[in-house]
Amino acid sequence: MNRSFRTLPALAFPILLFFSLAPLSPAQAGSLIDKGRKIAQEGNDLPGSTACMECHRLHGGGMPSIGSPRIAGQPRQYIEHEILGVKAGTRYAPIMAGIVNNLSEKDIQAVAAWYASVRTPKLRDVSPYDPDLVKLGKRIALKGQWKKNVPACVLCHGPQGRGIPPHFPYIKGQNKGYILRQLISFAFLKRSDDPQGLMRGIARRLSPTERKAVAEYFASLTPPPADGQPDRPSSGKDPR
Amino acid sequence: MRHSLSVALASLLGALLPMAPMAASAQEGGALPVIFTPPADREIPSGPFGDLVRKGERIFTQTGKYAGKYVGNDLTCESCHLDRGRKAYAAPLWGAYVTYPKFRTKNMKVSRLGERIQGCFRFSMNGTAPPLEGDTIRSIVAYSFWMAKGAPVGTPLAGTGMYHMPAATRHPNPFHGKKVYEARCALCHGADGLGTSSGGEVAFPPVWGPRSFNRGAGLAKVSKLAGFIKMNMPLSKGDTLTNQEAWDVAAYVDSQPRPADPRKKS
Repeated sequence: MNRSFRTLPALAFPILLFFSLAPLSPAQAGSLIDKGRKIAQEGNDLPGSTACMECHRLHGGGMPSIGSPRIAGQPRQYIEHEILGVKAGTRYAPIMAGIVNNLSEKDIQAVAAWYASVRTPKLRDVSPYDPDLVKLGKRIALKGQWKKNVPACVLCHGPQGRGIPPHFPYIKGQNKGYILRQLISFAFLKRSDDPQGLMRGIARRLSPTERKAVAEYFASLTPPPADGQPDRPSSGKDPR
Repeated sequence: MRHSLSVALASLLGALLPMAPMAASAQEGGALPVIFTPPADREIPSGPFGDLVRKGERIFTQTGKYAGKYVGNDLTCESCHLDRGRKAYAAPLWGAYVTYPKFRTKNMKVSRLGERIQGCFRFSMNGTAPPLEGDTIRSIVAYSFWMAKGAPVGTPLAGTGMYHMPAATRHPNPFHGKKVYEARCALCHGADGLGTSSGGEVAFPPVWGPRSFNRGAGLAKVSKLAGFIKMNMPLSKGDTLTNQEAWDVAAYVDSQPRPADPRKKS
């Protein structure tokens, strides 16, 4: 037997590993995004599967009326992590749980790639923002409530809450129903997919009014053009 | 009986004199020391003095933007002096203001607060010292003065400086520290220690490497850094690392490459 043949299997594993970990080539990423778009639009072909766009819309604007989050342009890794959390039961999400259980790992990668790649304008929220709550929320967001051991939100969610990829999602321009519900989930329900319990502790220490205020403040802002990106002066051209 | 009486007396005194050294000794006994509360933002007066205080705060929180020519790295004053210089055990300005002038073994001199702040720029910010009579130092001193309103002068306040770590039970081990770092710190500061950015702006500060504090900085001393980490890190989870973990992770971080001490360059 040829010597090089015997070493082949030994080499194959690291090579395969390398390719599976390497960043996707543009062509691979493109086909993943296309697959994700299809799932977002039609579900994943399993009978009875639900399309993501039913609640998140095709371009990820979400649905403020039911508190379904805006997900357009969140980091790919973050979206994947959240879906896996819902599947594993570490992220409290009674509606999502029934839907994502049908998704394979590849499906999840695909929808994450799709929604990370799309951009969409902010949708109208369910009610006008209360100026007093916005003012209080802004204080907590930018300066923190250190007496209660609550650091400024922007320290981890980025300047103005535009996110710090890949682990910290943007929260500016998110709808208020969703932000408030997540703070409550972290504080009292079974959302425990936050690293080191950081959000669980913070959300618990905020008062009900403060949670509401923070939600109103971040919801009152415009979403970033993409996660972690500063706002650009509008050129009148839709980035996508 | 006599003992319990003196304990009762001590705790009574501690309650009556929250700023007295009694509070500091109560800390070793496990009771929480009373921490000075700096004035609220709305108490900054209007007029030229208030303007100087606000300028000091801006420099403090956005040092690169408002005092950029003296800054040589990606840090701000607030990177270490948390909550805009108000947080106890993160070298709060109210504690510093009433502690200076002070003799320091670092340069064997009695330094004024302004000179101490010059040192921050030179070492922690890896930059150059702003002139003592210039606007940068003057406004940070004004901000500190305002924040110390009502604090007793020259009396040690609980929470001043960094937490003084009890001696490590075993020698701090950077290899253990690396594991703690990866589990508890890398999420924000990066496994490479170089910090994390958001849209081209520094978000989580680098804790080593060319854009972090230099070897002459206070936090380049393992004991100081361990005290800072113990009480403040990860943000909102202060006092969750064991003392040994804080020692180990500080030993690891301070073993990593960073700019040289400028006093030793020439």
